[in-house]
Amino acid sequence: MQQVAGDGGRAVPSLRASQSRLVAEPYCVHRIIEDPEWCLIAVPPLTELCLQHIVQNFTNNPVLDRLPPKDQRKVLARLPTGLPLAVTANLISDEGYWKRCCTERWQVCDISNHGGSWKRMFLERHLENVLKCFVPNTTDPNQVLELIPLCRDYVRKLEVDQFLPPVKEDEKEETDNLSDSGSDLGFGEVCIHHYDLGALVPALPLLEELHLTYGMKDCGMNFEWNLFNFTYQDCCNLAAAVKMCHNLKVFKLTRSNVDDDRTRLLVRSLLDHPSLVELDLSHNLIGDKGAQAVSKLINHSKLEILCLCNNRICDEGAQALAQALAKNCTLTSLNLRLNHVEDKGGEAMGCALLTNTALKSLHLGGNRLAEPTAVLFSQVLAQNSSLTCINFSCNPIGPDGGKQLLKGLRCNQTMTEFDLRLAEVGEESEYLISQMLWANRDAARLQPVLQQPAEPRS
Amino acid sequence: MSRGAGQELAGPRWREPAPVRDPHPDQNPDSDTAEPGPEERIAARRRRIAARLDAQRRQALGENEEPKEEAVEVEEERSSHNQVEESRQKLAKLLFEGTRMVTDIQVAVDLRETQRRAEQAELKLQRVEKLENEARSSADKFEEITSKWALAKEMTIPQELWQLLNQQQQLCTQLLEEKNKLIGELQQELKNKDEQYVQTIKKQSDDIHLLLERMEEQIRMMLKTYRRNIHQIEKAFELERRELLDNNRKKWEEAIQALNTKELEYLHDRVRKVEEYEKQLNQLRVQDEEEYNSMKIHLESDVQNLERQLQHMKAVYLVNQEKLEYNLQVLKKRDEENTIIRSQQKRKLNRLHSLLSNLRTKLVKQEKQFREENQSLAADCERITGQCKEVQRRMRHFAASDAEKFTKVWLMNEEEAKGLMRRALDADRIIHTQQLGLPWEEPHYWFPNNVGPFRHYKAKRMATKLAAEVLTEGTSGAQEKKEKEEVGSGEGQKENTAKSGDTVTPLQNISKKTAKKILELVSDESGFLIERKLLRPLRALGKHECTLLRLDSIFSALEIDSEDDLYQLMDFFLKYKAKEGALSQSQGSPGGEDITDLGEERADGESSAQSDELKSSQGPLGSLPSVYIHADNVLKILKAFVQDFHKLREEDNSAEEVLQVWDSSKDGEYWEALTHVIPESTLKLWDALAVALEEYYNILTRRANLIAESAVLQQQNSELSLMLEQFITSGANSMELLSPPVQQMDLNLPCPGEPR
Repeated sequence: MQQVAGDGGRAVPSLRASQSRLVAEPYCVHRIIEDPEWCLIAVPPLTELCLQHIVQNFTNNPVLDRLPPKDQRKVLARLPTGLPLAVTANLISDEGYWKRCCTERWQVCDISNHGGSWKRMFLERHLENVLKCFVPNTTDPNQVLELIPLCRDYVRKLEVDQFLPPVKEDEKEETDNLSDSGSDLGFGEVCIHHYDLGALVPALPLLEELHLTYGMKDCGMNFEWNLFNFTYQDCCNLAAAVKMCHNLKVFKLTRSNVDDDRTRLLVRSLLDHPSLVELDLSHNLIGDKGAQAVSKLINHSKLEILCLCNNRICDEGAQALAQALAKNCTLTSLNLRLNHVEDKGGEAMGCALLTNTALKSLHLGGNRLAEPTAVLFSQVLAQNSSLTCINFSCNPIGPDGGKQLLKGLRCNQTMTEFDLRLAEVGEESEYLISQMLWANRDAARLQPVLQQPAEPRS
Repeated sequence: MSRGAGQELAGPRWREPAPVRDPHPDQNPDSDTAEPGPEERIAARRRRIAARLDAQRRQALGENEEPKEEAVEVEEERSSHNQVEESRQKLAKLLFEGTRMVTDIQVAVDLRETQRRAEQAELKLQRVEKLENEARSSADKFEEITSKWALAKEMTIPQELWQLLNQQQQLCTQLLEEKNKLIGELQQELKNKDEQYVQTIKKQSDDIHLLLERMEEQIRMMLKTYRRNIHQIEKAFELERRELLDNNRKKWEEAIQALNTKELEYLHDRVRKVEEYEKQLNQLRVQDEEEYNSMKIHLESDVQNLERQLQHMKAVYLVNQEKLEYNLQVLKKRDEENTIIRSQQKRKLNRLHSLLSNLRTKLVKQEKQFREENQSLAADCERITGQCKEVQRRMRHFAASDAEKFTKVWLMNEEEAKGLMRRALDADRIIHTQQLGLPWEEPHYWFPNNVGPFRHYKAKRMATKLAAEVLTEGTSGAQEKKEKEEVGSGEGQKENTAKSGDTVTPLQNISKKTAKKILELVSDESGFLIERKLLRPLRALGKHECTLLRLDSIFSALEIDSEDDLYQLMDFFLKYKAKEGALSQSQGSPGGEDITDLGEERADGESSAQSDELKSSQGPLGSLPSVYIHADNVLKILKAFVQDFHKLREEDNSAEEVLQVWDSSKDGEYWEALTHVIPESTLKLWDALAVALEEYYNILTRRANLIAESAVLQQQNSELSLMLEQFITSGANSMELLSPPVQQMDLNLPCPGEPR
């Protein structure tokens, strides 16, 4: 809103300029006589003046639909970007106007993240900003609720990477500065919850993507553990909100200290969700029990992409996931980077992949996998024809494991990416594997060409 | 270019997570300083240089290839595509390596993070252990102190107590110091950690900077390479285009030049031709003019001629007109005459028409009449045929009754004759035995056994019997012959014996072997005709019996009952073979004869003997081919036989009926034979015997007379003797005589009884 205000301020000088021009006109008549080069073109026509007037009083009297298209364009080109959203949101659909709004407000505008629509981008980012700046108990909740009727037909994606906690007494902040870790737990109890999305999310019928991070940005030296506390109540609210949101396809909850209990709560609300396709719970504190819950979710939803990177999943969790994976036929991508899966879990995964035919991409980087897993995966490589991408980077696989993998890859035609960086597999194996991958990639590129060869030539 | 955009997109994606991680010191994976950046950078630079060199080389190659491109169009096309493909591959590799280089940082950070975590876990374990150890030792110490407190209570001497308290104090301070030390250590560790954290953050920021740098560099390089590649591709295409243009222009110019030269030639030709044609035209014009003039003169003269002729014709016309008018008048008159004639004719026509109708009615009537007549005649005919049939039936009946009567009369007569014969024979026997004292043997004749009128057909043996015979013949031929003769004799007449002998002989003539073979063949090949039930018991029997039984059933199936049928079957086989032989060997007369004979045989039916005789002449011929009858043909033959057989049988039956008519030629013989029961020699004997007996009778009668005389004499004698006695006794002669008469008489008395 501050920026909106700033925009309004910026709009003022232009207004003034036009006014001054209007004021200057009576003098013009006088000057015309003197000016030998004067001609009628310099005189603004009445329609122009009317349009200018409409632009100036657009907030009070928005006249747009009744204008002929040519004049509409002119008006839209001249409208200031600082107009209140209540006026413009449902009235103006012209992309040019919204583009101006966006580019004036933000430096970086990537329209491709918002479905190629400037208006959608503006509204989505506006809503995101409002949510980011929302401080519970101090900010008026109507500020959000007012926006709902304006943007409910446009918002498809919400990417909120900051939820502010309610404001506390200054004393505590001072003490927090002095003592870091010890007292944090105590304050965690007191800490009140973040903004409840339950009111907003169900009111957005088109919402398809929801990226959330319960935490604060740029806290600098005011760091406090409880700024990043994703409370149980928050989790309950979020679970209820997500359950109500039937069109949700992508749900990302990252860097939010989600532990096993909260995972289970979320998963319970996501079971048999009608449209959820991608779930991202990376950079959290999910352990084996949470992984077991997620593995249950895999077979009770349409989940295709699952990211659990940088969690605390050990072999048991990995085994549960593998068990679910063996029966699953929808999941295409699984990311378990930076966990503690280790060989037991890796072997379970390998066994599951012997039967699974849906998974295309698997990331097991940084999981302390060693040679036994490599042995099993060489078998997987030889048998499985659906996997195209495997990442084993940062695992101590060792040169023997590398040779095993190389042996398995010899029988494989589909693998196009196989990351073995920093896996101590030996240069020779790595080189040979990369050669094979290039061959597979070429084959994969040629295949679609072969299927429809006539098209590009003719 | 799309790949470049992708790269640009990929850039921010990697850029994003880095700054966000900052506020999470404990979760932050990037906590160490940037890994061997320079080395990687050098490697990347090397790669880039190599790629650039590669591109340059390729460019040079492309330039080298240009002359080739000019040569062949298809090659050109391919070379440009090659260029595109190469650029694509190069860029893909570049992109892959670039992303790899960028992600290298992430991977390195990941590794560091995992290492750090491992270290951390280890350190944590150590720390926990250390703390536990410390707690245990401090607890021990504390217990020691507390145990000493109990001891202190027992202390009574203040100095000792003071000493003890001092000791306790020392111990406490020691414990506290240890604790404080631990706390200090931990705090030190914490501080170190903080420092580490700060370092890590720095490292991370360095990493991020590096990442950004690399990404930017990457983007720049990608842009550059993309631009260069595009330039190259464009250049290649441009070159191609230019070459194509050049080629085309060259071709175009050549073509135009050729066109121009050709046009010039054509023009020259045309000019020449125009001149020629002009010359020709002039010539033609002069010629035509001359021709025209001559023609004109000619035509004018013609016109004059024609005018003259016209006038002439006009004169002729006038004359003709008059002639025609005259003719017209004549014709009119004729016309009138014609009308009269026509009316006459019409009348005549009407009359004829009425005549015709009358005749037609007559015809119809006659037709009806004839039809009726025809019907009546047909009825008559029917009636007459019916009558005829009736008569025939009656005739047959009478014939039958006649035959019956005949047989009765015959039997009666025969009985009589036989009685007579028997008497004669008895007399003969008596004569022989009693009178002549000779042994008497009853002469054997065929006729005494005959009862009833003698029929010409012989009782037919059963076919199976014959077959059995034939089959056994092979083993005992001679015996069989005798038997047959016997059988023949059993049947009666001598002629018949001969005939029956003949009927058998064909089989013999056909040769027993052949016959046997044929029968065996039939039994083997037509096993399907045998009933199922029979088959099983058949196996138990010997071969000979087996074939017999089989033949029996086969014959029953084929309805072959009598001997004749079997002969026909044999004949059929032989005929078939002979035909085949005739066809194959084209034998002349014998074959033909055979066939004709067979035709006769069919007609006669009964007189098979004749043909068989003929056949017997061909015995050797017939026997030879029969050996070679192939098993496969048996069925064909049988089939043909069965078809023909029914026809044959019908004919036979009709023939038999005809032959019911009497053949009395042999009756005479029969009766004649009956009269000749006693042979001529016996009769003579009898005559002689009669004469002798007559004589004997006379002698006997004479003797009888003599006996009677002798009796009379004896009586006289006895009377005389009596009288003598009386005389003697009477004493008349009391004196005895010298010789007494009684003695003498005793000697003579037995003599007359001797001949008896």
